[in-house]
Amino acid sequence: MTAATVGENVVAEPRGATRGRAVWLISGLSVALVVLALVSAGVGQLPLTPLEVLHALLRPLGIEVGTPSTQPNAEAALWTIRFPRVAMSILVGAALATAGLLMQAVFGNPLAEPAVVGVSSGAALGAAASIVLGWTAFGGWMTAAAAFAMGLVTTLLVYAASRSNGRTEVVTLVLTGIAVNAVAQAGLALFVFLGDTQSREEIVFWQLGSLNGSMWRDVAIVLPVLLVAAVLAGVLAPKLDLLSLGERSARHLGVNVEALRAGTIVIVALLVSVAVAFTGIIGFVGIVIPHLMRMILGPAHRPLLIASLLGGAVLLTAADLGARTIVPYADLPIGMLTALVGGPFFFWLLRRTRAKAGGWG
Amino acid sequence: MRFVALAAAAALVLSGCATTATTAPAVESDQTAASTVECTTAALPETRIEIAALPAGPTSACITETGLHSPAPTTPSLPVTVTDAQGTEVTVTSADRILPLDLSGTISSTVFALGLGDRVVGRDTATAFPEASALPLVTQHGHQLNGEAILGLDPTVILTDTSLGPWDVILQMREAGIPVVVLPANRSIGSMGEFITDVADALGVPEAGAALAATAESAVDASAARIDAILPDSPGERLRMMFLYVRGSANVYYVFGEESGADELIHALGGVDAAADAGITGMRPLTAEAIVTAAPDVVLVMTHGLESVGGVDGLLEKVPALAQTPAGEQRRIIDVPDHEILSFGPDYSAVLDGVGAAIYAPGDAR
Amino acid sequence: MSTDATTAAAGIMTTAAVDARGVTLTIDGRTILDDVDFRAERGRVHALIGPNGAGKSTLLAALAGDQRVTAGRIEVAGRALHDYRLRDLARIRAVLPQEHGVFFPFTVGQVIEMGRSPWARTEHEARDDAIVAQAAEAADVSHLLHRSVPTLSGGERGRAAFARVLAQTTGVLLLDEPTAALDIRHQEAVLATARERADAGDAIVVVLHDLGAAAAYADDVTLLAGGRVVATGGVDDVMTAALLTEIYGHPIDVLPGPIVLPRRTPRGTHR
Repeated sequence: MTAATVGENVVAEPRGATRGRAVWLISGLSVALVVLALVSAGVGQLPLTPLEVLHALLRPLGIEVGTPSTQPNAEAALWTIRFPRVAMSILVGAALATAGLLMQAVFGNPLAEPAVVGVSSGAALGAAASIVLGWTAFGGWMTAAAAFAMGLVTTLLVYAASRSNGRTEVVTLVLTGIAVNAVAQAGLALFVFLGDTQSREEIVFWQLGSLNGSMWRDVAIVLPVLLVAAVLAGVLAPKLDLLSLGERSARHLGVNVEALRAGTIVIVALLVSVAVAFTGIIGFVGIVIPHLMRMILGPAHRPLLIASLLGGAVLLTAADLGARTIVPYADLPIGMLTALVGGPFFFWLLRRTRAKAGGWG
Repeated sequence: MRFVALAAAAALVLSGCATTATTAPAVESDQTAASTVECTTAALPETRIEIAALPAGPTSACITETGLHSPAPTTPSLPVTVTDAQGTEVTVTSADRILPLDLSGTISSTVFALGLGDRVVGRDTATAFPEASALPLVTQHGHQLNGEAILGLDPTVILTDTSLGPWDVILQMREAGIPVVVLPANRSIGSMGEFITDVADALGVPEAGAALAATAESAVDASAARIDAILPDSPGERLRMMFLYVRGSANVYYVFGEESGADELIHALGGVDAAADAGITGMRPLTAEAIVTAAPDVVLVMTHGLESVGGVDGLLEKVPALAQTPAGEQRRIIDVPDHEILSFGPDYSAVLDGVGAAIYAPGDAR
Repeated sequence: MSTDATTAAAGIMTTAAVDARGVTLTIDGRTILDDVDFRAERGRVHALIGPNGAGKSTLLAALAGDQRVTAGRIEVAGRALHDYRLRDLARIRAVLPQEHGVFFPFTVGQVIEMGRSPWARTEHEARDDAIVAQAAEAADVSHLLHRSVPTLSGGERGRAAFARVLAQTTGVLLLDEPTAALDIRHQEAVLATARERADAGDAIVVVLHDLGAAAAYADDVTLLAGGRVVATGGVDDVMTAALLTEIYGHPIDVLPGPIVLPRRTPRGTHR
């Protein structure tokens, strides 16, 4: 902070308070994430204590901590099944929350979210096509690439269809989403009809969302994509703030609005499609988390980005923990859980936005 | 074509489970009980029967235990390297703890019949014979594989086909270092012997496999011949039969026609493939026209499928076109335990005997 | 308040800050601007007046670089408008639009800070806090700095936007109806601030519907009607009773000052 002139104290005060809150929130979320990850890795058909989990985790690094488990294949279970699953829940949760945040910035509307506007189903359609039509070269990459291509097409379609006069109207956005979801679901049904057993089952699981069967090879694809996307989003964050002033004013301040929008849409498509390609359609993370974070931190995108990455990871890890524990020996479809929580939240948010904007604003 | 139809049947069953898994997780557990009900022995008559004199009314087929599942134990000679159905080379070094998993329980049935039942450590939902009933279940809610449950059983070799998923769980097991041998998912009477020898080779008991294959094939031939012996010679006088897949909870209704697997069953039962006559190949959604054109005398269904549409009355109500066929008028609906009817496993002759008795000697069957 | 931009730009500016020649804009066959010449000089307030639909906002949009023109040439600080990279242009000219909505609940302080964004990663960044505070003071929104913009009244939002434009510290200000939603005190304050900026060397172009305010604060006036420049020049030259009456279609008197008044029927004499 530079030397004070008239009024500077008034500016400094609230900014300091917001920064304090941000630090608390981000630290809290980080701690919650670590604890949740350890607990989640310990839960399952082979019950393990967090100490046993830590032991298995750190032993390859040569660090002896905690105690080894006495259960057969405990380490194999942790490294082949649980750790990749927890890693995926962290990465996919972060990816979905970030995609939601970016989508809301581009559309200028707090209700924009990949699943609501149909981008997730579009990406799922691409993935389904790749599996059923046999484009499975390069292992998981081909499916992820097909999901990305369709996800991108769908995002652009939704974007083009729902904008008018430089703004996105809520009604058009939701209706476009309904239309796109309907078409994508029809396409998915077609692929279910055409596919063989294995494909069919995979498509059904996509529609519900699941982290069952997560493997390190999936993590190896999602992690770099998330990192690149997060860094890019961080660089673009201040410009995304300027979009709130409207397209014209943002341009007056030096932002190349079209390029920013196009770039952000590509990032959103990337994030959504890698998530969908491996874990199916998981909705509402992208709307619940950014909105909660915005209520606590305010709408500036840089702190929101970090908070959303962490918050999404925490939410999905918790949801996955629930999916595995709520019904004994069952693995509930995680998309169902997030919808159970997210759906009512969406309704509430819809009412609140309408009330504040005094109509469909 | 048959593969597609069987696979599609498997997928239908799966998708039925996928939907019911979120609403009624308890559904699948019933199937265990039904399959182990002791039925009174049903025997085919010795002399030629009068087709026209067969009584009306539905019958439940009774599949008796053949004792096939507890032969003398065999000893595997390992290690052995096989190329599985997907072309993967798999080396099996130990068959001490075997885990056979598939949608219809055929693999576990085969493993037990090969004398390796003592070494089996877990089962799938379809495996219901008494020798295996105490084994822990590794599929959640019917058909979802649980990777941790599998690992907890510490298997030394896993035998499966692609009918259970998620596929990634199988891959995770491979990553954990457990040899996984993938067997073909399509089944038929013709490929029964090969399937048995594939399983036997992977487990290091090729001689027992060859012997079992020969026994199973000749038993099936014998059953088919017994049935053929009591039937009129001319096909025109034989019963027209049709297999329907029904699942009321998901409103799924399919006809199985030529090269769907059901046709083999019908031929072995000495019937005329009514669906093939009506030009149906593979699996097709049920249409009124198809049923009426086919004009079956006897309709075969799965037991739980029939229950799910509300029994014979429910079936006739939901598929009104049936009422216009001889099968519907005479209410000749034969139900067969779900996982047996198209299993084509080593005990398939028992299936033929049971279904044959239900069709041709209904008064004697349960 | 002196501006770094003014000093920085001084070297490259020629006589006119904004120089438009022969600007024509046709959309779907309709001619919205017809061969318009317009010059805004440094250190002067140039008012743009005219009846509804005359094309004032459109001309401003063209000058700002938002709207591509069908014919004509526009130069800002001696360089063709479309030769500028967006960020460089943002350091030369600032625009206050008619709409002041903000999509997300940013605070007034955050919105004013957004005006500083063209100067990010330059040495001017160091003075951000001071400039934001001064701009808030000038627009009388210092007490609203941590209020969220969507909760403010139309006038308060307008002033917040004005503060943002001031904080951008550019040599050229294009203001579109800045007094529209404001009460008298704030109207005068905004125009007085514009006047101060002009005195400090900036070029101010302001679209005004209030002829009296235009007469009081402007140095130059351009009267636009039907997309054409009817008259341009000093206040006294352009704002004559005859011309205003003809163009606005309503009797208008111009008294010494100049004071511009529409002729109104006195109360009690209505039939």
